[in-house]
Amino acid sequence: MGFFNTLAQWLGMKKKNANVIVIGLDNSGKSTILNKLKPEESKRHDIVPTIGFNVEKFMTKALSFTAFDMSGQGRYRNLWEHYYRECHGIIFVLDSSDKIRMSVAKDELNMLLNHADIVSRRLPILFFANKMDLRDALSSVKCSNMLEVEKIRDKPWHICASNAHTGEGLEEGVNWLTDQLKVVINQ
Amino acid sequence: MRRDKKEDEDGGNPFYNLEKSTVLQEARTFNETPIKIRKCCHILTKILYLINQGEHIGTTEATEAFFAMTKLFQSKDVTLRRMVYLCIKEMATISEDVIIVTSSLTKDMTGKEDQFRAPAIRALCRITDSTMLQAIERYLKQAIVDKVHAVSSAALTSSLHLAKVNPDVVKRWVNEAQEAVSSDNVMVQYHALGLLYHIRKSDRLAVTKLVSKFAKHSLKSPYAYCLLIRIACKLLRDDDSGMDSPMFDFIESCLRHKSEMVIYEAAHAIVNMKQTTAKELAPAVSVLQLFCSSPKPTLRFAAVRTLNKVAMTHPAAVTACNLDLENLITDVNRSIATLAITTLLKTGSESSIDRLMKQISSFMSEISDEFKIVVVQAVKSLCMKFPRKHSIMMNFLSSMLRDEGGFEYKKAIVDSIICIIEENPEAKEVGLAHLCEFIEDCEHTVLATRILHLLGREGPRTPQPSKYIRFIYNRVILESASVRAAAVTALAKFGGHCEELMPSVIVLLHRSQLDTDDEVRDRATFYVNVLQQKQAALNSAYILNGLQVSIIGLERALHQYTLEPAEKPFDLKSVPLATQPLAEQKTAAVGPGETPGVKATEKVAASRQDIYAEQLAAVPQFANLGPLFKSSSMPLELTESETEYSVRCVKHMFPHHIVFQFDCTNTLNDQVLENVTVHMESTEDFEVINYVPAPSLPYDKPGITYTLVRLPDDPTQVTTSFTCTLKFVVKDCDPNTGIPDDDGYEDEYVLEDVELLVADHVQKVMKPNFAASWDEVAEENELEDTFALSTMKTLPDAVKNVIQFMGLQPCERSDKVAEGKNTHTLYLAGVYRGGHDVLVRAKMVLDDSVTMQLTVRSTDAHASEVIVSAVG
Repeated sequence: MGFFNTLAQWLGMKKKNANVIVIGLDNSGKSTILNKLKPEESKRHDIVPTIGFNVEKFMTKALSFTAFDMSGQGRYRNLWEHYYRECHGIIFVLDSSDKIRMSVAKDELNMLLNHADIVSRRLPILFFANKMDLRDALSSVKCSNMLEVEKIRDKPWHICASNAHTGEGLEEGVNWLTDQLKVVINQ
Repeated sequence: MRRDKKEDEDGGNPFYNLEKSTVLQEARTFNETPIKIRKCCHILTKILYLINQGEHIGTTEATEAFFAMTKLFQSKDVTLRRMVYLCIKEMATISEDVIIVTSSLTKDMTGKEDQFRAPAIRALCRITDSTMLQAIERYLKQAIVDKVHAVSSAALTSSLHLAKVNPDVVKRWVNEAQEAVSSDNVMVQYHALGLLYHIRKSDRLAVTKLVSKFAKHSLKSPYAYCLLIRIACKLLRDDDSGMDSPMFDFIESCLRHKSEMVIYEAAHAIVNMKQTTAKELAPAVSVLQLFCSSPKPTLRFAAVRTLNKVAMTHPAAVTACNLDLENLITDVNRSIATLAITTLLKTGSESSIDRLMKQISSFMSEISDEFKIVVVQAVKSLCMKFPRKHSIMMNFLSSMLRDEGGFEYKKAIVDSIICIIEENPEAKEVGLAHLCEFIEDCEHTVLATRILHLLGREGPRTPQPSKYIRFIYNRVILESASVRAAAVTALAKFGGHCEELMPSVIVLLHRSQLDTDDEVRDRATFYVNVLQQKQAALNSAYILNGLQVSIIGLERALHQYTLEPAEKPFDLKSVPLATQPLAEQKTAAVGPGETPGVKATEKVAASRQDIYAEQLAAVPQFANLGPLFKSSSMPLELTESETEYSVRCVKHMFPHHIVFQFDCTNTLNDQVLENVTVHMESTEDFEVINYVPAPSLPYDKPGITYTLVRLPDDPTQVTTSFTCTLKFVVKDCDPNTGIPDDDGYEDEYVLEDVELLVADHVQKVMKPNFAASWDEVAEENELEDTFALSTMKTLPDAVKNVIQFMGLQPCERSDKVAEGKNTHTLYLAGVYRGGHDVLVRAKMVLDDSVTMQLTVRSTDAHASEVIVSAVG
């Protein structure tokens, strides 16, 4: 197998693998986004609140992703950190219609950024301001202001509004992440 | 595989030298990407090995390894994933936050890969606590009715496990279980029936319906049939309905089932029932008889093993199989042969014994210790049955004693020999001689000391006591300290009992005074000094009779004395006497899922009185009563069973008072009783001086209330009868929460009368040497009287009743009446309240009815009077 793998990689047929961790508050749409990104045949019809975590795989043109879909419920958030060390990138999902809990999301983000396994690494962070289709949804700019994302100086980040049901905005975000990760992984 | 084999041949275990820390270090490999599947599998195996070897893994390290392991969910490799499931199950209790894998497992159990689904369900149920169960309930219900059998079975068995902690949730799955019972897979059907029974098991009516329903519409699975038989058996056992019940008909019909397993289960069930008659037994035994000639060794073994058990209770029924059992003696499987022979020994006649014994001896060396013990026990019971054959048996036992064998085996033989000696006086000398020979070369200290004790007790009373001295003194020279000490005590007993041996014994004991061990030296010095006094009373009190107080009581009294040293010396009379150890058989309730048979847990109630003493000492009102003299042995039921309240009474005797302890249970779940007391009234001079109420008595939680009664000043007035009334304040309460209303009302409940008997004032004490004690007490307070016991028609009856009335301990094994005799002398000993020795000699003559001449001696005149009055 090893030989074929190497051969395939050399020929550019086999894509490289990247580990990403998908986090965010509960009911922000993490599992739904991943479900949308998955290939058609392994999609699920019902999305239920995640307890603990799930491993999902999906492909883009250049990379194969292994995503750790973490549970966003309050009592499981302290378990995120077990998965920080091995990840190459972070997807942080926001519920852009939930203004009240933006500050909670900000706290979680700051905790993430100050974590020992994260703080010194140049990990790309992709923000999805999800649920853009809802009427009272904030724009991606407003979201980034509320989270004070612009204060992140040492890591590349990107925010884009998304709608996990239609898939709108997802491609843009994932393409950005792929570009960033290609650099990291090829190093 | 080949590599494994090679390692096995080397005799090495590849995991033998595993270090916990190294393995946990290796577990970090799980974090690496891409995943190295083979390596990870190997590490998981190591972790499993460590856990199963009982290695303790700390919570932090376990949690770290567990989270590393969760990353293996990335891989889709089947073997690796299943290893992960196993590890999750093992680590579920030692790691924190195992709930993290819930979603991953839920995904696997609902996924497309069938290989993952069943083990994922099992793992999921292990990590789920009651709060999370709601979240996965839907999936479990689906899985129970899944069309893949493995998945359905896994869900059903997991539900059974979950039902232990969350019975209410699992109860809701009854419809799914119902559907699964009709599955065409044998395992699914069996598991579903198990779950269904578990859900309904507290509802007797529902269980009865369940059995009768499935008994009719025939199940496919033999396993389910076996379970159904066990359930039916439990039902029969519980409601004691006779053999005409439909349950029994069902079990009986299973004897004609086509599966051997079901047939055996039914036969086994029938022979294990309590009140089977020969008629019901016959078909079951004949089925077992057929199995005896089966070509399958397992069936032969099962049949002969069951027959062996039946032979104890119904030897006549098994006699029919004797021919088949004879054939099994030569079976190539030694276990079957042994069981066959021991069964034959139980059923056989006296004439066939010689032949059978010869046959056993031929292969004794080939069977394992465990089966040798079975043989020994069979020989023992045979000896009880045919006392005349004791010489053959003794020879057999002693030759086995000389062979190689472990401690349990030797202990069984020694037990048997001792038992035979005690039952059969003719066998005594031969038996003692064999035991003497055995201790010459005995590596088990426990057995050696036990035999020395027996020699000390029985040896002096044989016609030629001097011949045992050599064997005992050899131990003093050759053995370890504890055996030497036991030997010294045994020697002293010979000296104390036989006057002509005393000078020589004193010489031997003098030598032991220079022993290197403290205990041996102390004992020797003590005995030499006692013997040199040449007083029979001292000999019997300090050498022959030994210590008669409760050891735990003595320890507590001495401890108390050292805490508060008083001027006056410590008084041994203030220590409660040892109660005769009563082996109390408690039969645990056995569910049909467990094997009936191995269920009796034996509990020795020797220190029961010490437990009571401690409880009473904790009640401040009883502080000035003095030492506890005696607690009545069996609690007295003062209510019918299944009434509103259940009350049981225990009587505690103090020098001048009685404490009645009432254990009350409230069986109404909508009531709370408060301030519960028991009012007692007597026609005589007994005065109630205090009540200690039970403050609150919620549903099904036993509580204790005490009533303190002062005994009359007249020392001969000891018996009376009390009328008892339970008085309390009732408060209604919510059956679910148990929170009572604020206001209640007073109420009372009439209980049955409590009798105070002579036996309550007397504590049993064993006097190993009755004659010596009799002389010691002397004639000062002797009372003699003759009674005609007109209601007793046999001597054993009379003996039993006299013992019961007086509450004294029979000595010299005089409670056993030799068969066919018309006269008998009963010796009884005990201590009367206040610490006065009481000895009774009752000479009985049988002539139509029993006439008894009663002689009572005591150190206290009133005690003699009271004891004589017990019979009157």
